[in-house]
Amino acid sequence: MLMPKRIKHRKHHRGRREGYSKGHTELHFGQYGLKALEPAWITNRQIEAARIAINRRIRRGGKVWINVFPHLPVTKKPAETRMGSGKGSPETWVAVVKPGKIMFELSGVPEPLAKEAMRLAAMKLPIKCKFVTRDDF
Amino acid sequence: MSSDHVQLNAAPRTEFGSAKTRRLRKEGLVPGVLYKAGEAAVPFSLNHHELYRALHGSHGKTAVFEISVDGATSVPALLKDWDLNPVRNELLHVDFQAVDLKVVVQVSVPVVITGIPAGVRDGGVLDQPVHEVMIEALPDAIPDSIEVNVDDLEAGGVLHLSDLTAPTGVTLLGDGDAVIASVTAASTVEAAEVGESEPELIGEKPAEE
Repeated sequence: MLMPKRIKHRKHHRGRREGYSKGHTELHFGQYGLKALEPAWITNRQIEAARIAINRRIRRGGKVWINVFPHLPVTKKPAETRMGSGKGSPETWVAVVKPGKIMFELSGVPEPLAKEAMRLAAMKLPIKCKFVTRDDF
Repeated sequence: MSSDHVQLNAAPRTEFGSAKTRRLRKEGLVPGVLYKAGEAAVPFSLNHHELYRALHGSHGKTAVFEISVDGATSVPALLKDWDLNPVRNELLHVDFQAVDLKVVVQVSVPVVITGIPAGVRDGGVLDQPVHEVMIEALPDAIPDSIEVNVDDLEAGGVLHLSDLTAPTGVTLLGDGDAVIASVTAASTVEAAEVGESEPELIGEKPAEE
């Protein structure tokens, strides 16, 4: 599962997810991509599930790029705990994704297969996504 | 070869700033600018639908556009840059650079790979690290794309920039050893790491036992 190797602080503020993605809104590496249309926190488990879905569909051949990394730790308080007593303990890691971000890229496979693989990957994610190609602009 | 020029009729733009530009876009117009070295830039606005059709025509984005601002004489220009809405894919702004049709220009042109490499048929993966190459040509001689057939590329084979065949009147620029495409062995799907470990905290002293 993806997570940082070294961190400066164990717990972070949640931050805001306003506006569009500032970078990586176009394809940089592959021929096809999966673009986020909504803002969300994508957990490392969801990224891993999407990656496995793509790789299982394309089997051999093709190259996959993952453009999101879960940098943000998310904390959670234990069940049936009263409020107070400080922030909970780190539970998982998430990637902050804003609309327009190309989360996954793929190349080396025919377009129908890439589209199907990306559709399966999008089903593992909590947001609406769009399949994009280099011809889109 | 994009020999036919694409005609675009633009209206002059006198109001600037984010709010006025936003209003312009709501009316179905796209702000743009036409510039040339040594001359003042000409801001204009274009109909979004007309511009979108012009840019997505069979001539490609490397065609020469004839831009007429407010009915003035048409100026040959090349599409230099464009901004898109990252979600809706709508054009937000376009830059055109006026060109002299008798002077060579340097532009980047897409590289289109055709065919299925022999190495891919044997189970390899085709990788294309470069999708555009710089060329030097007269504006009318700029091709829509440079096609290269990779049917003979074996596993482990590499296609360099020097292997590309430029159309007549076109000079390829850049390092001839630059890799355009390669066929590598397919990597197996690696299993996810099952055991989760805590990330190391920077500046924390190791626990004494």
